[in-house]
Amino acid sequence: MSQAASNLVHTVSGTGTSADDPSSAPTRIAISGAGKKYGELQVFKDINLTFGNGEIVTVVGPSGCGKTTLLRCIDGLIPLSEGEVKIEGSPINGPREGVAMVFQHFGLFPWKTVYQNVAYGLKLARHPAAEIKEKVPYFINLVGLSGFETAFPYQLSGGMQQRCGLARALAMEPHVLLMDEPFAAVDAQTREILQFELLKIWELRPLTMVFVTHSIEEAVLMGHRVVVLKGRPSGVHEVIDVDLPAPRDRGTLGHPRFTEVREHVWSTLMDEVRAAEFEV
Amino acid sequence: MLNLINSDKRWVRWATFAAGLLLGLVIWEIVGWSFNPAFMAPFIGGDGHPGAGTRLVAFFGDEEFIDSFASSARLFATGFAIAVVTAIPFGILLARLTWLRISLESYILVLYVTPMVALIPFILSIMGFGFWPKVLVVVLFAFFPILYNTLEGARSVKPELLEVARSFRTSELAIWRDVLIPYTLPFALTGVRQALGRALVGMIAAEFFLSTSGLGEELMVASRNFNMASVLATIILVTVIGVILMRLAQSLEQRFAAWRGIEQ
Ligand SMILES: Nc1ncnc2c1ncn2[C@@H]1O[C@H](COP(=O)(O)OP(=O)(O)OP(=O)(O)O)[C@@H](O)[C@H]1O
Ligand SMILES: [Mg+2]
Repeated sequence: MSQAASNLVHTVSGTGTSADDPSSAPTRIAISGAGKKYGELQVFKDINLTFGNGEIVTVVGPSGCGKTTLLRCIDGLIPLSEGEVKIEGSPINGPREGVAMVFQHFGLFPWKTVYQNVAYGLKLARHPAAEIKEKVPYFINLVGLSGFETAFPYQLSGGMQQRCGLARALAMEPHVLLMDEPFAAVDAQTREILQFELLKIWELRPLTMVFVTHSIEEAVLMGHRVVVLKGRPSGVHEVIDVDLPAPRDRGTLGHPRFTEVREHVWSTLMDEVRAAEFEV
Repeated sequence: MLNLINSDKRWVRWATFAAGLLLGLVIWEIVGWSFNPAFMAPFIGGDGHPGAGTRLVAFFGDEEFIDSFASSARLFATGFAIAVVTAIPFGILLARLTWLRISLESYILVLYVTPMVALIPFILSIMGFGFWPKVLVVVLFAFFPILYNTLEGARSVKPELLEVARSFRTSELAIWRDVLIPYTLPFALTGVRQALGRALVGMIAAEFFLSTSGLGEELMVASRNFNMASVLATIILVTVIGVILMRLAQSLEQRFAAWRGIEQ
């Protein structure tokens, strides 16, 4: 499969060398002084973060702390209330090319088949038909949905729908991939397969990933850095350098550093949960 | 025996259906023969009692009647087509533009429940006689059920899907093509189905009250002459066509709602 992948997925210029030390790579996304209000509700404020070229940053935080909101702001779907997000140096004011999002709610078009859903972005961007014909089956296969090309979303399980949404975003071959709990609805085995598949895809073509997850293990396994959001309104509580050797694979799970970081993130988050309990 | 009648085997269902139809026709025949032919006609009929079914068959060889039928069909098709191609886009547009919807909502609701026949005198005095005033009547009868259903459908489009479309940098035109229209079509077709019956009423009403023509005229002339067989034959024809069109709309609706799957 990786043979086919290297033929298909062309590398983005300038990201080739960043794999070794992603955090020192040139900045791809810069968030400064970011705050978001929904009416009276201040979801987060004063967030400052930069994501390097080809860096994987995972974001964890309690439910409702604004992880999805932050991703939507980075994607340009909704405006920030304060501060700004810059991608490649220019402030964003709407969804832009080269940035793709995997939605927590899957967001599949129910009247389109798996094939048509995965082809959606490519068709919209007017990619040549031959290219679409080649890429769509490749990405469907990559997420393990071969054989379901003609199925409609209502015929798929939650996990399969989520994989379809992932394939749809990957097919765009973006520079920046925003993922909102992409594996939340998948069973443990599939989840593991997809995690390592995604890491493999990243090895072939190191794109910038902002990866929201509820799973601490996943955050540490996937991320070069882990961002912990906390508080009310929430802010960046801590940014942890994971500092695990590349490539990440099953062996990573047994690495002493993995356990160390996992415990660290866990205790940071548990403080929040306890605090919340006392508040009630 | 009871088991057989209640079974849902295909042929049993068909046989039950046919038996019901046959029984109805037999009752009709008996009632028809027992009345003065000026008040009621039987279905098949015979000496002194011309039958509606027999007359219907004869219609197909009657050039004048076929002309009337063609004239009605033209009126219906024109009016209905105009209603469909205006009401569906307008309904989606209203769902897209909140200010437009809010400003027009009460008018739409009022017009949706207005008995359109009541507007015919106005149309007559403003537009006079001719083909187009009649088309307008058909349009008015058909327009609002389609608009209302389309609007309700388009308003229920999941905001998440619109967000996905925006994330993929979908243009407004493509949002209509890829999201709004496919989502709304089953709802719009429900409206189309409701509108079919209404448009047939509108067609006959227009042919009655504006310049008489078509099947409406046939009905009027026949009833003036106490020709009950022709009256009933024309009514059967219009009804059967109505039923067929509705069935067609229903199957289109099912075809375009296939993606809703079992939740439907
Ligand atoms: N469109 C909206 N309008 C008003 N409030 C909103 C809107 N979207 C989210 N919120 C509120 O903003 C807060 C953050 O929501 P968000 O969905 O970003 O949380 P999250 O961190 O992604 O949570 P989860 O982990 O459960 O997905 C919540 O309190 C939510 O109720
Ligand atoms: Mg969320």
